[in-house]
Amino acid sequence: MNEQQKALRKIRGIQFAIWELRIFLDTHPNDCNALKRLQAYETQLESAVSQYEEAYGPLNEDSATANRWAWVQEPWPWEMQKEEEES
Amino acid sequence: MWSYQKKLQYPIHIHTPDARMAKLIIDQYGGPHGELGASLRYISQRYSMPWPELKAILTDIGTEELAHLEMISAIVYQLTRNLTPEQIREAGFDAYFMDHTTGIYPADASGVPFSAQTFASTGDPLADLHEDLAAEQKARLTYDNILRFAKDPDVRDPIKFLREREIVHYQRFGEALRIATDHLDSKNFYALNPAFDKWKRRPAGDKKA
Repeated sequence: MNEQQKALRKIRGIQFAIWELRIFLDTHPNDCNALKRLQAYETQLESAVSQYEEAYGPLNEDSATANRWAWVQEPWPWEMQKEEEES
Repeated sequence: MWSYQKKLQYPIHIHTPDARMAKLIIDQYGGPHGELGASLRYISQRYSMPWPELKAILTDIGTEELAHLEMISAIVYQLTRNLTPEQIREAGFDAYFMDHTTGIYPADASGVPFSAQTFASTGDPLADLHEDLAAEQKARLTYDNILRFAKDPDVRDPIKFLREREIVHYQRFGEALRIATDHLDSKNFYALNPAFDKWKRRPAGDKKA
């Protein structure tokens, strides 16, 4: 796993926790502990995403750190990178 | 509206193409228990849900299903890379290949194209929520059946993730059903359709049945 993949793995982990808490809060909107945990993960995500985007290009089309040229570049999410094909 | 994130919800890196598995897994793209039907079902049903928590859960789970649709298509795409016509014929992928080559098309494992007949949007909150609970179980069993045939850990790993999401969604829809019935007449949940018939909402804070 290269540095970029490690950084993306970290972001995915935080986003997964955020998503689980969000759908939990849909059916438990008054759960203060879940809301606190959600807010903590959201803070972590913000810095992880901006660090990633500065180094490797945009994840979100509307990120402040995104640029149009980088958005168009490969790989797209369903594609494998060259070194992965060979490994 | 929706916005796109340039990544998959869960990573997919399949090193060994296998068109035979692709032919089975496409079922969760365009088949009767697949992610396309799941997403359309929830996103269509939310308009007739009278309660805000239920509008939220249908919107969010319907959105997550789109991310799963993308994962399934990425699996099929990676399983059908770099194949020769001989390999395609041997794998039984040749019938699909005739109309679609190695493009992604929503069909079930036997080639029947996606149909909206595979899901319901009834305009009745209780009927819709029971449909949703059943839909999550049908998707779960299809992933169980895929896992009976998939041997490659590169394929099994994301399929197991998707299978687990069906179980989490089932749990959330169970809670949604409870929220719905808590708003209804506890002596007769079926006295009226709260999305259609005129009815008096119980005032906030009134705990009486």
